[in-house]
Amino acid sequence: MSLTASSVEQPGDSEFHEPEGDDKAAGKVGVEGRSPAKLAWARFRKDRLSMVSFSVVVLFFAIAVLTPILVAAGVLKPQDSNQDLLNLMTGGLPTEGMSLAHPFGIEPGTGRDLLSRILLGTTLSMTIALSGAIITVIIGTVLGIIAGFTGGVVDGVIGRIIDLTLSFPSTLMLLALSQVVVDRMLDLGIPSGPNGAFVNGFYIVIVLAAFGWPPVARLIRGQVLSIREREFVDAARLMGASRPRIYFKEILPNLWAPILVYFTLLMPAYVSAEAALSYLGVGIKNPTPTLGNVLSGALLYADSYPLFFFTPAIFIAVIVISFNLLGDGARDALDPKAGR
Amino acid sequence: MGRTRKRFVALATSAVVAASLAACGGDGGSSSNDGVGNQEGQEVTEATKGGSITYLQSSVTEHLDPQRVYVGRDISNLGRLVYRSWVQFPSGTTDATEGTTPIADLATDTGTANEDATEWQFTLKDGPVWQDGEPITCEDFAYGVSRTFATDVITGGPNYIIGYLDVPTADDGSSQYKGPYTGEGQELFDQAVSCDGNTITYKFKKPWPDFPLAIASLRAFDPVREDQDKGDRSDLVPFSSGPYMLDGEWDEDSGGTFVRNPEWDGEEDTNRQANFDDITFEVGVEPETIIERLIADQGEDTTAIAAQNITSAQYNQITGDVAERAVNIQSPFTNYLVPNFNRIEDVKVRQALALATNRAAYIGALGGELASTPAQTIVSPDVPGHQPLDTFGSPEGGDVEGAKALLEEAGVETPYPITLTYPIGSASSENAFALLKETYDEAGFDVTLDGLDPSGPYYETIQKPDSDSDLIWGGWGADWPSISTVLPPLFDSRLNLTANSNGQDYGNYDSDEANALIDEALAETDLDAANELWGQLDQLLADDVAYIPLDTTNFYYLRGSGIENYVNSVSTSGYPDLGVIAVAEDAQ
Amino acid sequence: MFAYALRRLFSGALLLVVMSMVTFLLFYASSSTPERYACGQKCTAQQLEQTKAALGYDEPITTQWAKFAKGVVAGREFPDDEALREAAPELVTQCEAPCLGYSTGYGETVRDLISDRLPVSVSLALVAFALWIIIGVLLGVMAALFKGRVLDRGIVALSLIAFAFPTFFVGQIFLTYVSIRWGLVDTPRYSPIAEAGPWAWLTGLMLPAITLALVYMAGYIRITRAFVLETQTEDYIRTARAKGLPQRTVIGKHTLRAVLTPLVTLSGLDLAGLLGGAIITESIFNFNGVGKLSVTAIARFDLPLIVGIVLLVAAIVIAANIIVDMLYAVIDPRVRLG
Repeated sequence: MSLTASSVEQPGDSEFHEPEGDDKAAGKVGVEGRSPAKLAWARFRKDRLSMVSFSVVVLFFAIAVLTPILVAAGVLKPQDSNQDLLNLMTGGLPTEGMSLAHPFGIEPGTGRDLLSRILLGTTLSMTIALSGAIITVIIGTVLGIIAGFTGGVVDGVIGRIIDLTLSFPSTLMLLALSQVVVDRMLDLGIPSGPNGAFVNGFYIVIVLAAFGWPPVARLIRGQVLSIREREFVDAARLMGASRPRIYFKEILPNLWAPILVYFTLLMPAYVSAEAALSYLGVGIKNPTPTLGNVLSGALLYADSYPLFFFTPAIFIAVIVISFNLLGDGARDALDPKAGR
Repeated sequence: MGRTRKRFVALATSAVVAASLAACGGDGGSSSNDGVGNQEGQEVTEATKGGSITYLQSSVTEHLDPQRVYVGRDISNLGRLVYRSWVQFPSGTTDATEGTTPIADLATDTGTANEDATEWQFTLKDGPVWQDGEPITCEDFAYGVSRTFATDVITGGPNYIIGYLDVPTADDGSSQYKGPYTGEGQELFDQAVSCDGNTITYKFKKPWPDFPLAIASLRAFDPVREDQDKGDRSDLVPFSSGPYMLDGEWDEDSGGTFVRNPEWDGEEDTNRQANFDDITFEVGVEPETIIERLIADQGEDTTAIAAQNITSAQYNQITGDVAERAVNIQSPFTNYLVPNFNRIEDVKVRQALALATNRAAYIGALGGELASTPAQTIVSPDVPGHQPLDTFGSPEGGDVEGAKALLEEAGVETPYPITLTYPIGSASSENAFALLKETYDEAGFDVTLDGLDPSGPYYETIQKPDSDSDLIWGGWGADWPSISTVLPPLFDSRLNLTANSNGQDYGNYDSDEANALIDEALAETDLDAANELWGQLDQLLADDVAYIPLDTTNFYYLRGSGIENYVNSVSTSGYPDLGVIAVAEDAQ
Repeated sequence: MFAYALRRLFSGALLLVVMSMVTFLLFYASSSTPERYACGQKCTAQQLEQTKAALGYDEPITTQWAKFAKGVVAGREFPDDEALREAAPELVTQCEAPCLGYSTGYGETVRDLISDRLPVSVSLALVAFALWIIIGVLLGVMAALFKGRVLDRGIVALSLIAFAFPTFFVGQIFLTYVSIRWGLVDTPRYSPIAEAGPWAWLTGLMLPAITLALVYMAGYIRITRAFVLETQTEDYIRTARAKGLPQRTVIGKHTLRAVLTPLVTLSGLDLAGLLGGAIITESIFNFNGVGKLSVTAIARFDLPLIVGIVLLVAAIVIAANIIVDMLYAVIDPRVRLG
């Protein structure tokens, strides 16, 4: 299969809302590996939209860091029920909407504070997406460098593995494997965490990465192919540098730009994927909140308690949009030639 | 998975059991929500013939095969539409006694038993035919029950008959008769079930005084014609003896349509009014969508019905004229928890769990009093002999202080770790278990919630005798109106406990005292005396905390405005009675 | 070209064989027990063993795979137990080649099950595809032509927002509000084109198709826009402009052709992924396509069905890869296959 350009380049399944257009572009547009970081940052700062999205992303990371502390301190109470605030004659709808004590309202049926649940859900969704994206990028980069640099049989084998992985319907596999793999993980001694939250979250991370790495590997392989013939690599080789040294000391530093761009696009894709999987019943489950399972639980309340229905969806959308804009901004900054 | 695995099985319906008796009047609904009816307003009138009905259904009907169907809704529907048997329950009645007293169907009377009820005889009426015009024969009845013995082909259905029929068993406890397909041991079966002209004789190894109740409540004793039987391939190809027959094919994921059976004689079978011309089952619609469509009441949905509970998120839409189309009654299903006796050996700890069980919060999360009622025994209120017990604390539950005191008395280290295993269901049922955990944790336990998929992993896990679950959810409805189909199947260790599985005795409860009481009660042919003994057994189970009752689920159903003669009959387990339902003239 | 196609077909087939082995290993060798579902809730341990044997799950995985492979090539008969087949010929189901197995949950062969539901998924995919390609390219070109202006920013922003919300959320809004509450369209349902005619077919598919198309549309708008902008600076476009060709011709003839190449690639593969079923959209709108079938199969641990669907989807994707590469060469003469 000689035409790499024609192969699927998208993390996971498209139904999860992946920015496939962007991935394409990221793959297509050659990034000038050696353009100084400072120049890129200067360009980035000039773009207002990029800076706004960057601030929003920073804000979400801040939420992810601060929420566990606030929960531990008892400021946020994602599990405390307040059934006295519910009308049990109307199916447990809250008697109040937004209030000072509960700015996002409370959950119908249980009376749990929605602000706490959504913030903690954001934390867990971000953690899953971040871990998934990091592992995806690591696997993809390592295999991509090896394939691109070594060539020959190794390249061929990795290429076939990529073809194989990409041929699997990933959503279906994620669903089908969940029970089996989670059981296996528990047998292997992976801790289940409170109410299975850890092992279920871990499963999502692992499987997202397992089906998400091939496009990264292809992208990196292409970059490596263009780098490996350059003088500094030849020089290192002639000086007798070991392969790992060449891989990671000489080649990797030249790849950070495409990796960074791809990474920012994987994050929102995985946040969406977590939500979709929650809807399908895979992943971290109630009572441990994620944005996905809070939103799945809210679907029925579109009409009777819209506050509950829209808030988690808006959180997901804002994360997806801001990371995508950040990715665009980063790409433009790193490669000013890309027309926007 | 799927749309959420979790949404496949709503909590209340995950009990794959049939129940025969429904509510004697749900008191919950009518008082609290204007216009929502209970059964008292439901009357059967002179109905209009004709019209089409749509039956909206979210969970699939897995089996249409009489010997395999075991879901209450499907048993009730099939009995009114396509399958006839020796006896049946009268249609369109909300009277608890009348609705559960069998009347003759294909038999000339309701059957005769010998003195100790070990032998039953029924005589076939002259005249009734199959959908191809061939007469129904006594041999068809014998062939029908013989199929249950083919446990490798006819799976999933009730198998009481294997335990009762006087067919010798092999060393491993299985029957020596292997069903009609292999024919192994056929002569043994033919001895136990024999036809003499139009009269059949069933011989049992032990008394079965309420056999006619079982016939009327389940479909497992219905006739099947041998030349129409293709084993597993017949599962979704019903061959009708009733007023309707399948038009074309049944698609498991989308349903099918039943039209009038021209060979059926309405003059002879008067219990089934067969008012409408055809009924289409639309299967696989999401529960909330079903309710949304019924609320909107547009087009074909005006003549739609559903055995689907209104979700708690939609309760506030049931007002005005929508409420007039709603009904809220008590269902025959009771939910409960069982402590795992292999893990929690101290009765004081089990008692502490029982006291701390917060039924009020649990029910609140399910949607409040319209959704369900606190239960004080595992025996559903509509089963004759039902006696509420005060052993489990107040109906609301959640006695944190009492539980703390008991844990202290028991001298165990707190927080006491507990794994609560339950089937994943709707969002509200997930919340309900989360709230149970809350109160348990307050009382000194440390609960880990372990929600599993009810379509497989759940039962696989809890039926392992060495499972790590401490507290396990169960749901049950009587197979026919008798405590003998509630307590023994759940707590008789001899029926349930084997080396690899605890059957339905998920808590591994094993008491000689209880088993002895079961034998005594089963042998008692006088109903009142038997119920007295069942009461003693239930009290014993309560004292041992063999189970902790949670709630009795309500049916909260909605129908289209063009539906007439809508009755949640006791005789159809509280499901809409298709034997009397009709389409209003202006909706046709 | 022909030799290339042949080679690709061969390697594609090989890939499928390997995939079937991997899939078997993943599922059949797993600890969960599919016979549990088949046997039902009140199943005794002994019945469970019987069911396991009847389904053939007691055999080593290699044997099971060999039987599966033989079935694909030569067909096979069910139930698997030969003794039972002989004793009771009325139970036998013939499964002709290519036989993907027999689903006990449904009591049908996997091939029949899938081919029953494939038209639903294919219809949905095609209508969604038409929507996102036509609207996506149109809006993309418009955005590019009005680069930097309100229209451009509006299109890009709206597409991004539509794409940012989860599919199940958007689908639920469409279903609850557009269809049921406001009654703007009939309840979406699939009516076969042969029976109900093209109009009923199309209108029944509209809402789910829009839901599905929204996911892809943003990407196509952005990529079309980017490529149009890129080609605008190419020499041949400038030449065309300099020749005084009207804007319409330049866009319609020159620019779009250049944009077509990457779009064919991308859309071919996206469409292929969807032909095998859109799980979430089909679930939300209760469309009995392959996606919903797979969800049921998974919930019931219906292994033959899961494996059958996985291989079907894989086959479509692999075939699409080959076709797209061929098309690529046809459209863009610069590409040489070798």
